Amino acid sequence: MEPTTAHAGHSAAHGDGSVSGGHDDGQVHAHLSSAQFYWGVFGALVVLTIITWRVSYYDFGPANVFVALLIATAKASLVAAFFMHLRYDSLFNTLAFLAAFLFLGLFILLTYDDLGKRAQVDPEYGGTVLPETGQNAPGGLPATTATANEAERGEAPPGKGVGKKAE
Amino acid sequence: MANVSETAAVAAHPHHGEAHPDFLQHHFDTPAQQFSASKLGMWIFIATEILMFGGLFCAYAIWRALEPQVFDDAHHFLNKIFGATNTVVLLFSSLTAALAVRSAQLGKRSETSAYLVVTIACACVFLVIKYFEYAHKIHLGLLPGHCFGHPGFSGTIQNGEETGTCLRVHADQPGGSPEWVRAVDEDGRVQLLPPRANMFFALYFVMTGLHGLHVLIGMSILTWVLVKNLQGKFSKEYFTPVDLGALYWHLVDLVWIYLFPLLYLVGKPE
Repeated sequence: MEPTTAHAGHSAAHGDGSVSGGHDDGQVHAHLSSAQFYWGVFGALVVLTIITWRVSYYDFGPANVFVALLIATAKASLVAAFFMHLRYDSLFNTLAFLAAFLFLGLFILLTYDDLGKRAQVDPEYGGTVLPETGQNAPGGLPATTATANEAERGEAPPGKGVGKKAE
Repeated sequence: MANVSETAAVAAHPHHGEAHPDFLQHHFDTPAQQFSASKLGMWIFIATEILMFGGLFCAYAIWRALEPQVFDDAHHFLNKIFGATNTVVLLFSSLTAALAVRSAQLGKRSETSAYLVVTIACACVFLVIKYFEYAHKIHLGLLPGHCFGHPGFSGTIQNGEETGTCLRVHADQPGGSPEWVRAVDEDGRVQLLPPRANMFFALYFVMTGLHGLHVLIGMSILTWVLVKNLQGKFSKEYFTPVDLGALYWHLVDLVWIYLFPLLYLVGKPE
């Protein structure tokens, strides 16, 4: 067996997506985009920035944040695919990158789910209280809400200040 | 016999009788293998960075869902013009970073240096604009602990007494909080914010602060790359640090792409 052939096969097994051409000489052959192409991507990014700005003056109700995130994701994809060369890179790098978003999504979803099952926000101070009793919810910050403190002692109705107590 | 042919392969390595290049670490077979290993390492590092920022984005998601109105009111204290300018500055710096890598790929050393200098200059512009934003907000008293001391911790309510330029006021509204913060926002309107609006400002300072720290680190990395480039350490065959430094810089850009609409362009129009 020719040693050089074995060698080339070995290097290809390491999954370098940037090796181009019919032969593998072991050198780095990263994809080369033209300068005009990069300027074009920049132009698209600026246009999307203007769109996200303009769109913030329209009210889509609860969808506002999703519209903003959609445009931001389009911009991020352009940056990742072309400026960061993911489009021409090994697919494994893309997987490593996207895995971060997968786990971030899990993190946010589970936190959300947990929060939804705990308690409601106290309209006065924003701490979490159990909706039925007005007491501090388990897992929330201790004794941070005026209504919770007072409700625990069966005192004043909501709306009387903590500040007065502190005096 | 097998041993002999292996030795022969090493002697002939890599091909065409070239010597083992200086930049190739001994544990890699070829420059291509070294390059792809470096890239993979960088991408895994980028994934950890996303997860680090992710914690803050999670906090943001939860608090915004709980307090849409507060986020909407409080975001008027951020200057959209500054935010948008900084977005374009960062996008442009990403462009020049990508062009620096392109020049490095072509072995055009002085062009690479020029693009790196422009990138670092953009980073400086970004930080200067950020400085003006922070200075104004700190002057207004939007940091935690000025107007936004927690009611439970503050011994006294300064009823109408000036603390910075925002005011703590009593607002007698039925069912409302006894203590509000009065301040003038970027649109020149007088706003009454509930004390818990400090969650928005705290998230603003921490998220943009961590991002700003990354800008500083990115500048240092790119400066190091620039110095090495001027020393002639890189070539058509070996430009990995330029590529990885640019990847880090693009990450800084990526984070800002999300921060800008989420902090500066929150929701409802007037």
